[in-house]
Amino acid sequence: MSTAEKQPQTTMHLGAARGGWFDQLKVTLARRTEGRGLALLSVVIVAAAILEPVVFTSYQVTLGRVALIGLVALGLTAVILMGELDLSVASTLAVSGVVMASIPDLWLGILAALATGLIIGAINAFFVVVVGINSFIATLGMLFALRGLAFVLSDEKPVRLTDIDAGIAFGAPLLGPITPRVLLFVLAFVALQIFLTRVKAGREFYAVGGNRQAAVDAGIPVRRRILTGFLISGFVASLAGIINTLERTAADPTAGSTVLLASFAAAIIGGVVLNGGRGSVLGTLIGAFSLGILQIALTLSGVQVDIQDIFIGVILLLAVITDPTNLRAALAGVRSSLRSRERAQTPV
Amino acid sequence: MTNSTHHEPPAPILQARGISKRFGGALALADVDLEVRPGEIHAVVGENGAGKSTLMRILAGIITPDSGSIRVGGDELEGGPRAAIDAGIALVHQELSLVPEMTVAENILLGAPPTTAGFIRSRQLKSIAREALDEIGVTVDLDEPIARLSVSLRQFVEIARAVARKPRVLILDEPTATLTPAETDYLLAMLQRLASKGMAVIYISHRIPEVFAICEAVTILRDGHLVERTEIASTTPSAVIDAMVGRELQLDLQVRRTANPGDVVISARGIKAPNVNDVDLDVRAGEIVGLGGLVGAGRTELVRAIVGADPRTAGTVTMTVDGRRTVIGSFQSAVRAGIGYVPEERRVDGLALTMSVSDNVALPNRAELSRASVLRPKAISAFVRRLADVVGLRPPAITRDVGEYSGGNQQKVVIAKWLGRKPDFIVLDEPTLGVDVGAKAEIHRLVRELADNGAAVLVVSSDLPELLELSDVIHVVRDGRIMGTLAQSEADEKTVMSLASGETLVGA
Repeated sequence: MSTAEKQPQTTMHLGAARGGWFDQLKVTLARRTEGRGLALLSVVIVAAAILEPVVFTSYQVTLGRVALIGLVALGLTAVILMGELDLSVASTLAVSGVVMASIPDLWLGILAALATGLIIGAINAFFVVVVGINSFIATLGMLFALRGLAFVLSDEKPVRLTDIDAGIAFGAPLLGPITPRVLLFVLAFVALQIFLTRVKAGREFYAVGGNRQAAVDAGIPVRRRILTGFLISGFVASLAGIINTLERTAADPTAGSTVLLASFAAAIIGGVVLNGGRGSVLGTLIGAFSLGILQIALTLSGVQVDIQDIFIGVILLLAVITDPTNLRAALAGVRSSLRSRERAQTPV
Repeated sequence: MTNSTHHEPPAPILQARGISKRFGGALALADVDLEVRPGEIHAVVGENGAGKSTLMRILAGIITPDSGSIRVGGDELEGGPRAAIDAGIALVHQELSLVPEMTVAENILLGAPPTTAGFIRSRQLKSIAREALDEIGVTVDLDEPIARLSVSLRQFVEIARAVARKPRVLILDEPTATLTPAETDYLLAMLQRLASKGMAVIYISHRIPEVFAICEAVTILRDGHLVERTEIASTTPSAVIDAMVGRELQLDLQVRRTANPGDVVISARGIKAPNVNDVDLDVRAGEIVGLGGLVGAGRTELVRAIVGADPRTAGTVTMTVDGRRTVIGSFQSAVRAGIGYVPEERRVDGLALTMSVSDNVALPNRAELSRASVLRPKAISAFVRRLADVVGLRPPAITRDVGEYSGGNQQKVVIAKWLGRKPDFIVLDEPTLGVDVGAKAEIHRLVRELADNGAAVLVVSSDLPELLELSDVIHVVRDGRIMGTLAQSEADEKTVMSLASGETLVGA
């Protein structure tokens, strides 16, 4: 009863004390999820600057590559943040490219391509939300179905764009190194960054991925959020398909076959967690830059594509292993397996 | 009591009448009433499984009752969680329901932040959140992601979230389970402050001293039934405990077995792991050692580190059977050495729910049930049939999927699968959690038999009567350390709880 009569203290300080700017900076950094991506990016930049400085003098090429990997990865991030997967992005890219090239009018083609992306996103969401299939399986099915559709629609060969001049104009820089591709990439980044940090629906993506039960209890329309995520991913993938088609002045049904894994890698390197709830589009951007610069540097050094893939694999594994919690678990695992081996040698 | 309105009770703000709920075959609540006045702190007490949490989830609209009615301020409450929130009922969950990567401010207003055209008004968001935190008198950095906060701070954020909805009825389900004594004192004072402003508070707790420190009335549940509702002023702690546990269990307490411990079988030295700080522990043959403590004290982590189910950062575990010493490293080596482990999360860690009883029981016994690595179906079926009989599986249909059985029977299957190995050392983590009374008694019998047959037994239980009933010796764990050891004769609810919660028990 003593607590009842005692005048209760008015506040209780439980958070960490915040000191000067240095402490503030430390706190800010500790809150971010992009740390490992940033570390990798610095390593890649320093290595490239020393070994292959051409990467930065021919920044136009480098930026183009970053935009290629990064655009699809940005859309993908929205889905992964909710703990879902979208494996169909590369096939979506190919199908929407073919749809666009098949329509003689350029603008009508672009609109049709974007609509294709949205429809595919809606179908993915339908399978995941309404039918209740695991998103890995649902979008794996779509991956195959759409790739096949791209071949059927294109008759298994590249479809030439009717308006070739538009394509050539599209590839030209607007201002300095800024090609329309890079511009669209930056726009997509800014739009998603604002959506996921400032807009209510976007913030709720984190709730859906971080603690789905809590999201449901708080009255968040989880199914509608997942639909939005797949729509974003499909839309961005079709945007990438349009850009590809314009730049090559033709739609190739095999387009984007390497994009899928590279864009997943970019998101993961950037600190986006596959289980959802953790990560940022800024991280994905950093991941895309790391991968893009690495690829261009290796290409310029004359390293073959197959060997480049080995590098990407190693970088991806490094990014995941160097996660502090993973590191601790891995060390403990190694230690305990060593110990049990020790024991096996000394039967007492 | 401090509340002056006591003599002239105002009309109840919350009235629940005749609430009943069944889950499958099991009766969770039978015709339960609950009435709370504004400005009152009302305790709901009962043992684990008495139906407290179910009742609260019904009030919060998360579960629909099979029958009964709920009125808030005279109006009938109908519909899901949204309707309950709108009616002014806010539930602070037992399992925290915060989003780890979102900030404190965002979590407090989860699902309903202030917006302009879909954009979050960040300044207003923070000011509302700060207001809620001020209301409960806690200072936290509003931009801190929940993942970086301590468990107790998360608890306070959770309460702030409930308070931010300006509820008429605030429900707290075991809010002090993870708090330190100082934080508990603070929380209790805070609840009194909220109640003095006219908020009705429903307070669920196992801790009787807390109930007597702050509550005005208490509703006691047992096995889904309402035992009684009484004013705190007209009852005593021991009367409440008697009503909670009922007479049978009290009798049960007296049939403690006489232990006859043999040699030390398991010897753990300097065990360190996440949430476990340097623990030494011995268990002797034929002895049942109990681990008591609050939820989150590190007991599960400790036993998992001992059996090697999770990696240890330091320490050694040796097992001595018939003079043969074995060092326990990995879980595999533990099983090979004759250790059985009945985990806390039986549905996740203990069983393959989509496999049959027979397959589950055969799993750790494959070596003796196979010839040249090929399993012998006949041997398995005889083996499993015998064990199902020993543990009293009902119905003893060993080809049925384990997932089709009730919680109590599932737990019997887990125990059966280790019994088959005739373990020299067996660990049982919360062996009767979510198990009905009949199965509970049978599981207790099995545990005693194991010890009587010479096995060393280590039991983790948050169910105090069970812990007191089974254990020959109780080690009480707090913050990953053994804070005290009680022999059977000196252990009772009070000594265990005071060790588990720190030196001072609030108000007692």
